[in-house]
Amino acid sequence: MNFVTTWIIAGAATLLAIASPYLGIADWTPGLATVSAFVAVSLMGLNLVFGYCGMLVLGQAAFAAIAAYACFMIFNAGAPIFVGALVGLGLAVVAARLLATVFIRLPGIYLAIGTLGLAYVIEGVTRALPGVTGGASGMVLRAQLQLGDNGWYAIAVALLLIAVVSMCLLLKGSTARSLQLLRRDELATEVAGIDVTRLKVKMFTIGATYTAVGGIALSQYVTVVSPEMGGASMSLEYLAMVIIGGAGSLLGPIVGSVIVHWLFAASGAAQKYELLVFGASFFLVVLFAPRGVVGLVEGLIARISTWRAVSLSTAEAPLAVTVSQTSAAGRRLDLPSKIEASLVIEAVTKNFGGVTAVKSVSLNVYPGEIVALLGPNGAGKSTLLNVLSGIETMDSGSISLSGQAISALPIHERSKMMGRSFQVPRLIGDMSVLQNVLVRVDQIFPEKSETERLEIATAQLKSLGLDQYAHARAQEITIGLHKLIDIARASVGNLPVMLLDEPGVGLSGQELERLRAIITRLRDGGAAVVVVDHNIQFILSLADRILVMEGGAQIALGSADQVMADKHVQRAYLGAFS
Amino acid sequence: MNALSQTIISGLFGGAVYALLGIGLVLVYRTSHVLNLAHGESYAVAGITAAAATSHGLPLVWSIVLALVLSSLLSMALYRVVLGPRGHWPMSTLVLITLGAAFLVRGVLNAAIGPDPVSFAPLFRGPPLRILGGIIPLQGLMLIIFGFVLSLGAAMFLQHSRLGKQLLATAENPRAAQLLGINVERARLIAFGLSGLLAGAAAVLLVPLVSVDYQAGLSMTLRGFVAAAIGGMMPTRVVVSGFLLGIFEAAIGSYLGALYQDPVMFGILIVVAVWQSRMIRFGGARRA
Repeated sequence: MNFVTTWIIAGAATLLAIASPYLGIADWTPGLATVSAFVAVSLMGLNLVFGYCGMLVLGQAAFAAIAAYACFMIFNAGAPIFVGALVGLGLAVVAARLLATVFIRLPGIYLAIGTLGLAYVIEGVTRALPGVTGGASGMVLRAQLQLGDNGWYAIAVALLLIAVVSMCLLLKGSTARSLQLLRRDELATEVAGIDVTRLKVKMFTIGATYTAVGGIALSQYVTVVSPEMGGASMSLEYLAMVIIGGAGSLLGPIVGSVIVHWLFAASGAAQKYELLVFGASFFLVVLFAPRGVVGLVEGLIARISTWRAVSLSTAEAPLAVTVSQTSAAGRRLDLPSKIEASLVIEAVTKNFGGVTAVKSVSLNVYPGEIVALLGPNGAGKSTLLNVLSGIETMDSGSISLSGQAISALPIHERSKMMGRSFQVPRLIGDMSVLQNVLVRVDQIFPEKSETERLEIATAQLKSLGLDQYAHARAQEITIGLHKLIDIARASVGNLPVMLLDEPGVGLSGQELERLRAIITRLRDGGAAVVVVDHNIQFILSLADRILVMEGGAQIALGSADQVMADKHVQRAYLGAFS
Repeated sequence: MNALSQTIISGLFGGAVYALLGIGLVLVYRTSHVLNLAHGESYAVAGITAAAATSHGLPLVWSIVLALVLSSLLSMALYRVVLGPRGHWPMSTLVLITLGAAFLVRGVLNAAIGPDPVSFAPLFRGPPLRILGGIIPLQGLMLIIFGFVLSLGAAMFLQHSRLGKQLLATAENPRAAQLLGINVERARLIAFGLSGLLAGAAAVLLVPLVSVDYQAGLSMTLRGFVAAAIGGMMPTRVVVSGFLLGIFEAAIGSYLGALYQDPVMFGILIVVAVWQSRMIRFGGARRA
């Protein structure tokens, strides 16, 4: 299927969907379609937060209720409707922005509980203040906009189209990649250089905005608001609709809203079974179709197209690789005669409760040198690396990078100046290798265009001899390659400092040689490289200097020969061999 | 009638229920690291079963037995059939599954009895007692006593008995527990069964005083969670925090008005969620 055909099919499907209420489908009237569309707009907000960012929010309807209630109060007090709508929307957005600072720090289950609590609070407050909110019976709009069913339906379609297009614009390029990473692995997102807190606050607020817009529109159409509108039940129904439709897909909320509303209307006579149908379908989808109806359909289409593709050529056009000198080699440092240390670690100490994991370690790492951290398990090597990259906070000491004190900087700020690979590579399995690297390129070269970033990422993989895997999904390639790709990602932009956590563990002999070449290249490029590894032969032949640690303290520092000759080292670490 | 005594009495009712539901949530959480959002459904199922069975002429005692059996079976089935085989799924997905189960049960209950609240006759009947100027029905006194005894008993069992310690060990490190010869599957099944039974007991004791409807489950789960979270998921503390919460809630009801109970209690829930998670970074993911 080529590009133009896809667009024609998509356009025709959209038109058909818009015209569907007039095609005589049982119970699918313009009125019901209007309700479904308004709810879908609200759901798109939840989908952004839950589906794309992976935040389990169980109280999203609260924002629809806050906006709709405020709008009703202002309109019923005599103000024009657009003033009411704007104030309502503004109030919901401000509330969301304030709540976000509290909520987004909560991990999975606490976020779920906290937001569910919010829904109960909003519902309870609207019920407890009859003088202001109409209490349990809610409020009735003093006058509905007289547009007729078709007029309202036109507004609903327009609003939904705006919502879809704006969501597309929001979720393109680097944002989509950041969110894909965020959803799976928050720590890796930070280390890639992304300010997770800011990103989540932003998405939470935008999500609430969509929900509030949908809530205002719906309440204007049905002309009533009631406490249930913002309650836990409604919020959970939101979530169920998103999941049934397909969380994390653009059309999921629309599909979910339409299916559920139409099913309810069609089973109108059997109202008793409404909740049962709802509950059963939600339960089954969560268990057996995690990507919802949209996911099922996409799976079906994928199956059909692979079946068709047997006769067609599927080879993707390879990307034109034009390595500009600046991107690959231009940042390479020429070693100055008087060298200043890239990384200065001074008396760093880290305690875990009563255990001192790192005991007053000091080390200077110069540009163009490889320093290895050696030591038995529990010596504090990985902890030191985590302290350097900001994953652990230190208790005392100082760290500076290229002359700048970084002790107080958060992970993502440090990541702009240093690359870090993980002991267990944190690649995202269903993203391509290129995409995994691009996430990092986005952060290191924010000023470059999408095309330029693509070139940089491709060049990065090519320079490490990994370009043949660029378009493979990470889960399709071997774990050994994951480590090399993780390093390729960490070394984007030839940053002054590289931290490699056990890069050699689990690699085959051949991969190990490749790793050696990569690390040597980084050094020759002027980076100060810190490596933690257990493979002594590998380290001895690779490192310029070795820091040996035991029980958190440094016991020796020097060249391989010096360190090997050290009595403390022989006793502490190499005893088994001598 | 003395307002303060009456507040304390109704606070103790609520406290007993908080404690019973909270300890069940803790039991499950501490053995399988799953927050069971369908926990309150055992409460709703037990209450509605007992009401339906008595109204169909089954003797009260047998109705109660049936209710307790069903509530534990529901909880065990949730683990055995649904959660157990998916133990390796991410935690947030498992929580969603329990939410789906709660939805399903809610739908079944709604289809079975409709939207109206139901109740049944108290098991303990007699003239209401007068204590310190307050009035307490016999069933209410039993609710308080049984609530205390059962939840404290469950906490003691968890923290001090051999099987209880085994249950806790399975959550801390399932692999190690397995190596030590603990049957992790069985331990978790027992934990789910017990937690269902305790939720059922809460229903059997409370429903004659406060009727139950098809959607009572989720709000009961959350009430239990408030107690559990304030108690830091520690069994004995959960019982204490449950009773204190009950009294606090009753005080709000007496002095501010019953309508303020929900917003205040769930506001506390938010504060507790924020407080409990203050030490967790990076979404609780494993470290580098």
